[in-house]
Amino acid sequence: MTASLLQTPQLHRTVLPNGLTVLVLENPVADIVSARLFIRAGSSAEAHHQAGLVSFLMGLLTKGTETMASMAIAETVESVGASLGTDAAADYSVISLKTVSADFPEIFALAATLLRQPSFPEDEIDLERRLTLQQIRSMQEQPFTLAFNQLRQDIYGHHPYGRPGIGNEATVANLTQADLIAFHRQHIRPDHVVVTIVGRISPEAAQAQVENALGDWSAPPTAPPPLRLPAVTTAATCSRVAQETNQAIVMVGYPAAPVKHPAYAALKLINTYLGNGLSSRLFVELREKRGLAYDVSAFYPTRLGLSKFVAYIGTAPENTATALEGLRTEVDRLRTTVLSDDEIQASKNKLLGQYALGKQTNAQIAQLLGWYEILELGVEYDQQFQDMVAAVTALDIEAVAQEFFHTPYISLLGPEEAIGPVAVAQG
Amino acid sequence: MISVDFPASVIRLDNGLTLIHQEIAATPVVVADVWVRAGAIAEPAEWAGMAHFLEHMIFKGTDQLPPGVFDYAIETQGGMTNAATSHDYAHFYITIAADMLPHTLPYLADLLLHAAIPADEFDRERQVVLEEIRQAQDDPDWLGYQAMSELVYQDHPYGRPVLGTAEILQQRSPEEMRCFHQAHYQPDKMTVVITGGIPLEPTIAMVKHAFRGFASPPPCPPAAIAPVPNLPGVRRETLHLPRLEQSRLCMAWLGPGVDQLETAHGLDLLAAILAEGRSSRLVRELREDRQLVQDIGAGFSLQRDCSLFTIQAWLDGDAIDRVEAIVCDRLSELAAQPISDGEIARAKRLLCNDYAFSTEAPGQLAGLYGYYGTVATAEHCLAYVPTLQRYTDEQLRPLASQYLTPLRYVSTILRPA
Repeated sequence: MTASLLQTPQLHRTVLPNGLTVLVLENPVADIVSARLFIRAGSSAEAHHQAGLVSFLMGLLTKGTETMASMAIAETVESVGASLGTDAAADYSVISLKTVSADFPEIFALAATLLRQPSFPEDEIDLERRLTLQQIRSMQEQPFTLAFNQLRQDIYGHHPYGRPGIGNEATVANLTQADLIAFHRQHIRPDHVVVTIVGRISPEAAQAQVENALGDWSAPPTAPPPLRLPAVTTAATCSRVAQETNQAIVMVGYPAAPVKHPAYAALKLINTYLGNGLSSRLFVELREKRGLAYDVSAFYPTRLGLSKFVAYIGTAPENTATALEGLRTEVDRLRTTVLSDDEIQASKNKLLGQYALGKQTNAQIAQLLGWYEILELGVEYDQQFQDMVAAVTALDIEAVAQEFFHTPYISLLGPEEAIGPVAVAQG
Repeated sequence: MISVDFPASVIRLDNGLTLIHQEIAATPVVVADVWVRAGAIAEPAEWAGMAHFLEHMIFKGTDQLPPGVFDYAIETQGGMTNAATSHDYAHFYITIAADMLPHTLPYLADLLLHAAIPADEFDRERQVVLEEIRQAQDDPDWLGYQAMSELVYQDHPYGRPVLGTAEILQQRSPEEMRCFHQAHYQPDKMTVVITGGIPLEPTIAMVKHAFRGFASPPPCPPAAIAPVPNLPGVRRETLHLPRLEQSRLCMAWLGPGVDQLETAHGLDLLAAILAEGRSSRLVRELREDRQLVQDIGAGFSLQRDCSLFTIQAWLDGDAIDRVEAIVCDRLSELAAQPISDGEIARAKRLLCNDYAFSTEAPGQLAGLYGYYGTVATAEHCLAYVPTLQRYTDEQLRPLASQYLTPLRYVSTILRPA
């Protein structure tokens, strides 16, 4: 497997005079070029009263520039069968594009224009707002999303990670063109942008296209204030959403280490051990041996600030208490049980093997490299992460479990008669 | 038979098994994807859900391989494995480092050929499938899709849910499942696709060795075969669902099966012209300009016996009748008025690039070959791009008028209860 992207000689990294970072990896296998334009500002950079602003802004980047209307942008992309999309994550935002190689210069130049010169037309703002408000309401249709939103809110309180990236009805209703322009001016600037290009293109050609499109873009003289995330001061709770669903959703969550914390690799390994794949502990114990669920898993997202470790299960309502007990038992077990060498090695092989399998397409590689760069981990992190995982010991796992897995935050969703008594019993 | 133009090798082994192989030298990964013509259409009606339940039970081991050993072996070698079932097929795949394939493929073959289906595991796994059904029933789009399928396919097995029902599954036995398994997991119904960093010769040897010793097929109740229906006119059904925040309108037409692939690919083009991307006809008019819908899309799905063309909109309940009438109107226009060269060129580029984008990784390629190999022949997927490229306005419009008529379709509407 590809042990490291860095061992391949084709990776070219440059920083333009205006501070913009460029990463290029030539991969001639398929006639495809994928690119990402990362911005070092995500939903966590928005004010509480403007929740949803970054997501809203990213959606509007493709809806008008100083010289092109929304439909002209769509026609340019779709007439060559390219894909171009935007996304706002907690710690960064990104424009993604994919073309056959002949079309890359035109579509990349368009993406650069969208990034630099969006016009945020009022009629497009109105349309986007209507669509966004409906999307927020539609989250009510998804039991998993509702249960997760509740858990996240309980864990983070007023910390920005506690909000859904899309915002809420009250804040989205009030976002204005002036808010968008102000955020764009402050945060979208060349020294906070990383461009990654991967595919059938020479490093020289890729570099020239970035310089053409973005080389004359100058950063404002004053830097935006550094991101300061507030401390998380909440206490563990048990919350519930009563709904007449066919299945109950049970989640347990724990505040967990940020990416730059020494416990990060051990927590990723614990996540793999408990929740990743058909041979994971939760899957085997709760699904294979006890038939409690179809979907049972865990996740631990990579975050610059305080992250969370979540284990969840969807189960018949009458099994709510049993399922909750099962999740808690499996997490707590790691505090008191030292895993065997075989268990540790199996989890490492799984995590590192799947990590390598996650680097198969140009788009996956462009995403991974740029993501490490925009989080200021550097492209070296691709190798460092693998080394850190390989170095985790059974005692590390036990110590990290003892450090992070205290009383869980619990989120329940399902019929009241099933989840109510369970919630009450939790106190 | 080894094809010359097709980039993959298609080989029929002596026992009737089909092997499709393509070496991709630049990748250290190999995908093995085994497709079986044993989807939900192979079931008798009273066994609905058997094919999907069996897919779960395949992973429960053989006499040689206790439950869980296979999953553990694949995943601890850094690989991934999973499976899926639809009406036309069940398929099982592993993605793994190329040098590990010789150690893992025999396990996969053992599971597929010699699944033990132990009674205690059967009872336990049934609980898991029932959970899967419960989860699906909390998804309004799944409910809408099932209602639409029943209405459009009528008695044809495509109208039944792949998951089956709790009532039927409770009545099934491990003996019945073993019978279904041994009758259908036979070499003449199986296609093994291997793509990635492994040459042809060792692949043939490996597959020959692993996929031998099939059980002789027992008598098994025959599948419920009903003809593909003709829609008599417009059929409309409304479901009122709790917890729904937004209404849906889903309009569906039946298209040809794999025996008319050229026509099917033409309908793919029409779907792109109508509703793929913001500059397509329906998205531009109904979402961007008139703002009558939250979103609208067209889908074309190719299946063995007949294909399905859908137009689905997410919208306010009071806009449903109006949007349905506009869509009907636009379909009449599509058949009656010339389609511009620009629109046709755009749709071709979108679909041809989608095809290129969806064959980048070995797993994607294996899926494509396996699917075509199961419902038609693998070589047929090679005709997709040239067939699209040949289409002209004069050929597309008759397809619209024949297949996408406002006089005969099914309309499924979801509204908040």
